[in-house]
Amino acid sequence: MVRLNDLHPDEHAHMLARLDGISPIESAAWVTPPALADAKVALVSTAGLHRRSDRPFNWGAVDYRLIPGDVDPADLVMSHASTNFDRSAYQEDLNVCLPIDRLNELVGSGDVGSAAAWHYSFMGAMPDPANFEATGEEVGRLLAADGVDVALLIPV
Amino acid sequence: MSALAHFIERAGVATITISLIREQTERVNPPRSLWVPFPLGRPFGTAGDAAFQTDVLKAAFDLLETATEPTIVDFPHDAPGEVGPEQWACPLNLAVATDDSLGGRFQAEIDSLRPWFDVTVERRGRTAFGVTGASIDELDQVAVALLGLAETASFAELPEGAEWAFDMPLLSRHLASDMRMFYQEALAAQPGNGAPTHDAINQWIFGTTVLGEVLQLAANRALESDDGATRLIKFLMIPEGHH
Repeated sequence: MVRLNDLHPDEHAHMLARLDGISPIESAAWVTPPALADAKVALVSTAGLHRRSDRPFNWGAVDYRLIPGDVDPADLVMSHASTNFDRSAYQEDLNVCLPIDRLNELVGSGDVGSAAAWHYSFMGAMPDPANFEATGEEVGRLLAADGVDVALLIPV
Repeated sequence: MSALAHFIERAGVATITISLIREQTERVNPPRSLWVPFPLGRPFGTAGDAAFQTDVLKAAFDLLETATEPTIVDFPHDAPGEVGPEQWACPLNLAVATDDSLGGRFQAEIDSLRPWFDVTVERRGRTAFGVTGASIDELDQVAVALLGLAETASFAELPEGAEWAFDMPLLSRHLASDMRMFYQEALAAQPGNGAPTHDAINQWIFGTTVLGEVLQLAANRALESDDGATRLIKFLMIPEGHH
C-alpha cells in the first residue's frame, strides 16, 4: 500500500514537504461526458515517456510529448528524472504505466467508444503542480479539438 | 498529476485520475480519482497481467457513472506477485574479475550480464535502454562515461562516445538510468523466485554490484561540485534509502 507512511522515511518527509507546496487550484464546472460506450478516450501519463526521436524531458519540464495510439512500445523511452520509483515493471510491459493495449481491448469489446489517435505525456514530480496550468490547459484544448470526451490521467 | 485534471477539464473534457499517493490527491481534489494500493512506478499494478490491469481500468471508468462531485474511490485489491528484499535473491552469478581495478571489475560484471540481457530483449522484442541517446551497441560507451564520472571526469563536459540526448550534468543522471535498465533486463532473463520489488532491486544493485559502487562514487563526486544543478544529481542517481 502506498500511503505516505509506507514510503521510506526520507521519501515520506520529501512528499510531506511537497504537500505544503501545492497551491489550491480552482475546479472547472462539472463535466458530464457521454456514455463510455460512445466516448472517445485518451491517456495522459506523467511518467516522462516519449518516442526515441523526441526531445527528452529537461529539469522541471512542464511541456509535453505526443504518443501515437499505435505506438510500438520499443519506440518509447522514459526520461523522468526521479529515481524513486520502479521501472522494471514498465520494462516488461508498457501497459503497467500506459495501458494502451487494455484500452484498445475495451474499444474492441464495445465497452469504450473509441481510443484517441494521440495520447499525451508529461514528466511529473513537479514541486508545485500549478506550474502545469498553461500546458495543461493547452492539452485540454487539443484533446477537445480531437473530439476526446474522457482523459484518463496516470501518474507513475 | 491530479492538478492536470483541473486544467484539462476547463476545456470540457471529463477526467479520471489514477492516484498513487492518496494524500496528494486529497490535497488537489480532482473530479474523479481511483486510488490504487500499488508501488510507485506501477499504476496498473502488475506487468504481464492483462486481466488485473483491465480490472483497474474498468474501476477507473466506473467513476464516470458514479461520481457527481469530486470523489476518491479506493481500489480494493493489492497487486499480485511482488517479492520483497527479504524473500528475493538474485538468480544471476556476477563475474569475478581478474583485473581488480574499478573499471576492470565493472567491465567483467557487464560482460557477464550481457548474454542474459540479450535473452530478455529477444523474448520481449524490445529494450527500454537508450534514454541517453546511445544505442545498445554503445553500451560500453555509456559504461565508460559513467565510470569516468566515478573517477576523474568533469560533470560540466559531455563525455565522448555517443550522440547524447542530454547536456551535462543531466546526462549523468540518465547514464545511471540506462545502466540500470541494462542490469534490470539482464535480471529478468532468470525470474528466479519472482519479480523483485523496487526495494529488492535497489538492495541488489547497491549492496552487491560494481554498478552500485560506481553510482555511489559518481554521486558523491557530484555532491562535491560548486554547481547547484550538479549537486542535485546525487539525489536523481541514488534512490532514497541508499545515500
